[in-house]
Amino acid sequence: MKLQASGVRRRASVRGAAAFVALFSFSACAGAGAGAGAGAEPGPPARDYLVFVASEATDQVALVRFGPGGARVERRYEVGIHPTDPDGPHGVAVAPDGRHYYVTTGHGVPYGYIWKYTTDGAQPVGRAELGMFPASLDVSPDGHYAYVVNFNLFGAMVPSSVSVVSTDEMVEVARLTTCTMPHGSRLDASGAHHYSACMMEDFVVDIDTRTFEIARHFRVMPRAERGYSGAPAAMHHHQPPGEPTTTRCSPTWVTPTPDGARLFVACNAHDDIVEIDVASWRMLRRIPAGEGVYNLDITHDGETLIATNKRGRSVSLFDVASGRELARIATQRPVVHGVTVSDDDRYAFISVEGVGSEPGTVEVIDLAARRRVASVDVGQMAGGIDFWRSEEGVR
Amino acid sequence: MPHVILLLAALQVSAPEQQAKHLPPSPIDRIEVTPANPTVEAQDSLLLRARALDARGNPVEGARLRFVPAGGRFEGLVQENGLVRSGATGTLPVTVVALVPGTAPVTRTLDVAMVPAPPARIEIDGAPERLVAGQRAHAAARSWSRHGDPRSDRFAWRSSAPNVVRVTDDGVMTALAPGRATITASAGAATETVTVEVIPNSIASMELRPATASALTGDVIRFGIDVRDEAGQPVRGLTPTWSFTPGHGMIEADGAFVGYEAGSYTIVANLGDRSATATVRLAPRDVRRPAEVVGRLPRTRFTTEEVWLHPNGRNLYLGTGRGGDVLYAVDVSDPSNPVVTDSLVANTRRVNDVMTTPDGRFLVHTREGAADRRNGIVIASLEDPAHPRVIAEFTQDVTAGVHSAFVYRQERFGTHVYLTNNGTATMHVVDINDPYHPREVGRWRAPSVFGGGSLHDIDVQDGLAYLSNWNEGLIILDVGNGVKGGSPSNPQLVSQYRYDLNDLYRQVEATGGPGFIRGTHTAWRHRDYVFIADEVFPASPVQGARDAAAGRAYGRLQVIDVSDLEEPRSVAWYEPEYGGVHNVWVAGDTLYLGAYNAGFRTFDISGELRGDLRAQQREMVHVNIADMDAHEAGRNTALTWGVVARDGLAYVNDINSGLWIVRMLPRTPPPMHP
Repeated sequence: MKLQASGVRRRASVRGAAAFVALFSFSACAGAGAGAGAGAEPGPPARDYLVFVASEATDQVALVRFGPGGARVERRYEVGIHPTDPDGPHGVAVAPDGRHYYVTTGHGVPYGYIWKYTTDGAQPVGRAELGMFPASLDVSPDGHYAYVVNFNLFGAMVPSSVSVVSTDEMVEVARLTTCTMPHGSRLDASGAHHYSACMMEDFVVDIDTRTFEIARHFRVMPRAERGYSGAPAAMHHHQPPGEPTTTRCSPTWVTPTPDGARLFVACNAHDDIVEIDVASWRMLRRIPAGEGVYNLDITHDGETLIATNKRGRSVSLFDVASGRELARIATQRPVVHGVTVSDDDRYAFISVEGVGSEPGTVEVIDLAARRRVASVDVGQMAGGIDFWRSEEGVR
Repeated sequence: MPHVILLLAALQVSAPEQQAKHLPPSPIDRIEVTPANPTVEAQDSLLLRARALDARGNPVEGARLRFVPAGGRFEGLVQENGLVRSGATGTLPVTVVALVPGTAPVTRTLDVAMVPAPPARIEIDGAPERLVAGQRAHAAARSWSRHGDPRSDRFAWRSSAPNVVRVTDDGVMTALAPGRATITASAGAATETVTVEVIPNSIASMELRPATASALTGDVIRFGIDVRDEAGQPVRGLTPTWSFTPGHGMIEADGAFVGYEAGSYTIVANLGDRSATATVRLAPRDVRRPAEVVGRLPRTRFTTEEVWLHPNGRNLYLGTGRGGDVLYAVDVSDPSNPVVTDSLVANTRRVNDVMTTPDGRFLVHTREGAADRRNGIVIASLEDPAHPRVIAEFTQDVTAGVHSAFVYRQERFGTHVYLTNNGTATMHVVDINDPYHPREVGRWRAPSVFGGGSLHDIDVQDGLAYLSNWNEGLIILDVGNGVKGGSPSNPQLVSQYRYDLNDLYRQVEATGGPGFIRGTHTAWRHRDYVFIADEVFPASPVQGARDAAAGRAYGRLQVIDVSDLEEPRSVAWYEPEYGGVHNVWVAGDTLYLGAYNAGFRTFDISGELRGDLRAQQREMVHVNIADMDAHEAGRNTALTWGVVARDGLAYVNDINSGLWIVRMLPRTPPPMHP
């Protein structure tokens, strides 16, 4: 396999993304027939796209290749420490330089880990113990830190935390108590802010990564939207009488726009998406979404927002400018989980958990044609998913 | 298409691949930690302190310091302020992170030694109550902390009357003259005494009983002495010093001898200048026999978990793991042709445990990894045992998953499920007298268990629950027996048997590093014994290896004598040369063992048990439970889970390969030579 013209995951680089898309479009037009307009018939991909996806029930991470030859599992890698009990890999993130990927484990045992593997061969490089049930994670643009939410679903609803891990040393350098069941976190493109959702408290928390301190938080509860400074825990002690205390949004994901100016927050319980202006720390709008909207990702050009609908068994594409839902694409199996966008903004890769012994699935959506163009079975309970790179297609 | 090639070349140059920017170097040169060699007692805490120093040894302004665990999650907790809470003895790796924001972090990893608390209890073994003048005896002392952790103290020995009994620093007593002496062993603040009487040496004759014995390797032969004075009157209360030669075996202070190898042994008893001998002739135990695989039901879709046979002996249930949401119902009325008759599909990714009610009317199985995270247990009706039908579930406060569940009925209290909570290491007791409406009636958690503890398995017999409580060892609870007034809704602690896992598995730490997985995993009560087995895996795989080469199981099975329920003691053990131990089944005089990489093994446990069961040739059968009809995770590799034995057949489940039905064949007689 030749590895020419390799583009890697580049959540942080807007300028680089634009250059890459332009070149790729030319290349695609020259030989592959891609770049179709909205609703157009999808053409076959000219390149191969590689994504990692974690299967929580089978202790595996699969490397999925999608290209001219369709989608297939290139290789499955075992994850974890315990040979007979489940380790439960949940979150996956590829380092910006593409040389390593990180996996969180910990569903089923008291404490979890973050693991570091080489992308080429999946050799374990290191691991660090974190808190209860580490879940989604993201890596800073400079590659030096991974941020992991400790979801903690051990029954008691108690505040949990976000772990900051030095990826060079593979050691947790900070643990910030944020809220109950933190989930769905992302760094902005500059790496200066880390945002996480508080599933059981209707908050979004903003961590200042320069100081490793909670800078502010935002209440995303319908009809009670409001920004606050400081940590949620501090607010609880000074909660004004009469303010609602129940959870009506249950935010499960937050993702910033590529320019970092706005946030989109998935309200899983309220079936809508909250858009927040980062500078003013005010809500801009609520966008109606699919049933059980769960995870989000946004194209590098900032134009399309992709949302998985966990209960709705579908994926929604939104026009960011208008907030209009462009398409709702049914998935083949239930419990839709994660989403990651290819480096050229052409495809969205969706992880679907399935129920029970149903295989997990990675479904590939052509964002131009707004259709599913491929799918491949992976291990059960497919959750965390991240794009690695594209390369010259193998037919 | 030369232009395309050129463009691709340009793409290579301009591709947005990001090189990780190097963080500016930290002004921190080193981290100073106090105490320099941190040691904390088990069940106690220690505050570590650290300073970030620059190259000149000056504290660095603005440096943030925090402490994080680097392993040993079941053994201790580390708070970021440096407070270490020790839950067990062992080694707790701790990393100190010093960070000046915006610069590279500096780390230092150190090991915190978690040692037993000071000695609180001493027992003296082998100190006779009565000696004859001139007799030597070796008193051995053992000590424990107030938490029950075994210690390895060097004892100070003292005699209250050195002219009567002299005692050396090693506890060797010499009876010098008639009289009484109090012998004291002390370690720290703990002391223990024994009173020894020295009588004149009027021994005229001394014989061992039995004088001769013929037995098998592994048989326990109890020797006694018949001592008489010149008048022919018995001299009572004397305890000789025992020894034997040649061969391997053991003889304990109570005169119980067990030999490991066939041959003649001379047993020697010494009382001062008198001695007596007996001869023991041991024949090979000869319990080794062939086995045959009668039936086979490969399972390849999932890994295979617990096996359970319906009381009718015709229906069997198999759990599934590694994504398994299926409980298979299998017809084994023809053992050579096991057939799946039905399956229960549940919202789970692991059916780790399954058990029926004693009357066979209902079945309970556990859930881990449910899509809705509710987990708990499922109850099914066995009106038709070949076709279980779900009637209820119980999920309250067990969202973290249930690993094990034991169904037990008591005449006085009815039927309850005793289940383990994966998240809190708590035993929940669920009343299923109305199986359609299960309800929790009790809970119990080991007081010393902290956040990282684990409750792995529960066995209930005769109203006593035997909890395999990982680092806490074996815990015995009264859940209706009455010995402590307990009941299902009010479990009461009877006793606890803890042992030194670090010492036992020193080789595992040496191989894979500190923080390895080890703990009491399962327990089975039979006669006056509880058989406990440990689950042990190294902390890291063999470097550069994968699949079967990457790791292996370790572990030991111990035989705990509970004839005195409040003083459990380990009397015998088994440890395979390779592969670990897992689940146990005992029927009659046979112990059946699923032994992970060591496959399926059975043992003759007839009679009294002492010493090394493997060395004394009690092993009857070994089948390497592995073939290519297996889950992709482990083809041709044994990872044998457990066994149910009934009517001469062993129903063996292997994680990798499914169900094996094995029969032990009669022992093959040795060939006749003309």
